[in-house]
Amino acid sequence: MRVRAALPEMARRVVPRPKVDSFRLANGLRVLLAPNPESPTASVWVWYRVGSKNEHPGITGASHWVEHMLFEGSPRYPKGAIDRAVVQVGGELNAFTDTDFTAYFSTVPRDHLSIPLDIESDRMTRALLTDREVERERTVIHSEREGNENWPEFRVEEEVYQLAFRIHPYRWDALGRREDIERLTPEELRSYYHKFYGTRNALLVISGGFDLRNTAAEVRRRFSSLPATGADVAVDHPEPAAHGERRGELSGPGTTPYLQMAWRSPALDDPLTPATMLVDTILGGETRLFSAGPGWGRAGEHPSARLCRALVETGLAVRATSEWRPRVYPGLFTIQAQAARGVTLDRLESAIEVVVERLCRSGPTAQEMRDAQTRIRRGAALAYEGASRTGFRLGYFAVLHSSSFEDQLFQQLLAVRPREVRDRARQLFGSETRVVVRYEPTGGAPDE
Amino acid sequence: MSNRTDPLRVEYAEGPAGMRIVRQPPPPSAATFSATYVGPAGWAYDPAGAGGTARLTGQLLTSGAGRRNRIELARYLDRAGGTLSTQCDPESTDVTVWGPADQTERLLGVLADAVLRPRFEVADLDRVRRQLIERQLRELAQPGARADRELFRSIFPAGHPYHTTGGGDRRSVTRLRRGDLVRFHARHFVGDGGLFVATTPMSSRSLVAAVHRMFADLPDRRAPSVAVPSASPSTKREVSLDLPGRTQVEVRFGGASIPRADPGYAASYLANEVLGGATLLSRLFTRVRSKGGLAYHASSHLEAMRFGGYWVAQAGAGADRWKKVVPMLRQEVRRISESPIPSTELDLIRESRIGEIALALESTSDAHELALDVAYHGLPEDHWVTWPASLRSLSPTEVRRAAERAFDVRHATTVVVGPLGRG
Repeated sequence: MRVRAALPEMARRVVPRPKVDSFRLANGLRVLLAPNPESPTASVWVWYRVGSKNEHPGITGASHWVEHMLFEGSPRYPKGAIDRAVVQVGGELNAFTDTDFTAYFSTVPRDHLSIPLDIESDRMTRALLTDREVERERTVIHSEREGNENWPEFRVEEEVYQLAFRIHPYRWDALGRREDIERLTPEELRSYYHKFYGTRNALLVISGGFDLRNTAAEVRRRFSSLPATGADVAVDHPEPAAHGERRGELSGPGTTPYLQMAWRSPALDDPLTPATMLVDTILGGETRLFSAGPGWGRAGEHPSARLCRALVETGLAVRATSEWRPRVYPGLFTIQAQAARGVTLDRLESAIEVVVERLCRSGPTAQEMRDAQTRIRRGAALAYEGASRTGFRLGYFAVLHSSSFEDQLFQQLLAVRPREVRDRARQLFGSETRVVVRYEPTGGAPDE
Repeated sequence: MSNRTDPLRVEYAEGPAGMRIVRQPPPPSAATFSATYVGPAGWAYDPAGAGGTARLTGQLLTSGAGRRNRIELARYLDRAGGTLSTQCDPESTDVTVWGPADQTERLLGVLADAVLRPRFEVADLDRVRRQLIERQLRELAQPGARADRELFRSIFPAGHPYHTTGGGDRRSVTRLRRGDLVRFHARHFVGDGGLFVATTPMSSRSLVAAVHRMFADLPDRRAPSVAVPSASPSTKREVSLDLPGRTQVEVRFGGASIPRADPGYAASYLANEVLGGATLLSRLFTRVRSKGGLAYHASSHLEAMRFGGYWVAQAGAGADRWKKVVPMLRQEVRRISESPIPSTELDLIRESRIGEIALALESTSDAHELALDVAYHGLPEDHWVTWPASLRSLSPTEVRRAAERAFDVRHATTVVVGPLGRG
């Protein structure tokens, strides 16, 4: 018998995690510098530990609205000037808001690094948020929300979180509630900005082609004079324990039934996180923090994932996956599935329960563990190619936990044993606190 | 072929069975490679009454090939750290492998298997068929995708490759059998008319040798040609489609345009960037979103391909705002083709587009897109090196004239899809 040459599993980083220099200014601003002399670009990221977790009913969506307003004028950059300054040199810029943080980034050809540094130092504490621009942006934010509402998945997810959380601010989506977008005043928005956005809650990450010493000096020159501001962003009202299942039924336009099931899951820094991520990988195919491919997102369905095999391959669903999102506070582990034509949500829900029960009963196979851990190695191996991805990844781990957390988590993931995954699945799915939201399309299928 | 290191400069070579090879050096700090086979296998070549053939065939290439079934293939890719993906458009199907540079030989073998030896297992066909039908239905129910579809149907006559989005309909997709896909694959995944594009640190000599070895079984024949009917509609049209229960109306204003080979392409490209392509600085974004506060997204797009092209100005707005957006889109398209662009505005956009080339060199996968563009359109090896000078040579008058031809407002179609009754 011929012996096939074994392909070694990826055990090392192909693109090494860059060497990072870090320091903190007297005003509290934390800085991470990751130079790569060969990079043709430089990427500047500012991460604020401010997100929808810092809002309350009445001002939900404020963090996202501030995100928009930070492009709409500051002392040295009147409306439109930020876009113009970055784009005119061929750069790209954007921002995004999450429950736990807000991130702003600009990637520019390396000779133009001073532009985003100047912008960020100007708008970190001195954005204008004029009445006029806040009002103008209100309809833009409405429009962004409306675009999302067109999708049943958005509406279902929003309902899942509203049912799962009664106290904690994870209850609402970062886009904010429709009625709060209607009523939030410019004064309230300015007050929110001045309270939370400042050096104490900010993390500046610079990656790519730059000289370490010169750039560190430039950062000190531009940011040291900013006042030490930024109120405590910790959320001190934890969600109380839930009792019993919570269910929701939605209906609306669409073509096929869809459902999400959710269970309470631990915060990122919980010792149970590595095993939870393995549960996610075995059920859904990949885990968000270590996913494969050239982009930032999670790859498509993985054929060896249990949900795919049990639901998609068998014709019960056209899509099925799981998701665990890293959160500062305890969040949710979800399973989502879109029914195949003619399959009821009752049947789909039962099939998901069977998948979950099997994992709880028998745990993963040795082959599944090898496959899952190989995928995690692969996700880590190429994570740092390019200045933008480097800035994103360094900042993401640092803002959610710490700079050293990625390596720590990676090692823990590779050390998880099948029994721990089984025990974790039992703990996760065994509770009575699950949330189920089902979406039934109302109208007939549109004409073909 | 030499071993140049500038990723903006590609090199051409001859591959097996008449296939062209294009090599691009990777960006300086990249540790990955990317390689794509481009086959003349787009949905333009779908047999009559068999819509969806090209898309199903393309999707099944990643579902098992050679001696590996779907799961074994995925597992092998995981262990090599690579990904395998396909993309089907009206004219071609791309099959792309990406991964660590030190796994190039292995992953090129996977690519060759996917292109030459797909398994087309019936269970996989059934799964992909279900997913395609469902995706098509979802798109019909979504204002954005539905608006695109209605626009294409209006601009291009039946039988034109751009008339559809390639998924066929439930009937045609349901009828397809394994043998249909096998026959389509045999006819269209061939050497002559095919391309192999690699962004890789491999030497040119090694790459060419590897491609000849791995693709030695590539059929030595030319893919069948396709007749493309004229795309010019005689009158402008308006299409309104009420989709109650949605929250946002999608607006499209567009028409047929020039192919990529048109000598006016560079000037038309710049005109589109001013109009809405260079999103944040563009006229549409500025007027509709920044100043008007009427929509979250507002942009334009010029798609210039081999068989033809189209342009579209687009936005998504609430049920109470879309009526204000429609005339804005029309006015801005008219202005770009009737009035000269001020030099300061043109220079700003031009330099931004030239500057962004550096951003395409951030990673192998980004740089690879540049090489694919050169290869597919048969552009000179130094196209991206000379592109800045080409753009800088264009005067405002040349750009306006090109816009007049590329954005033909007299024959344009307006499409609005969404909760129209709520407005």
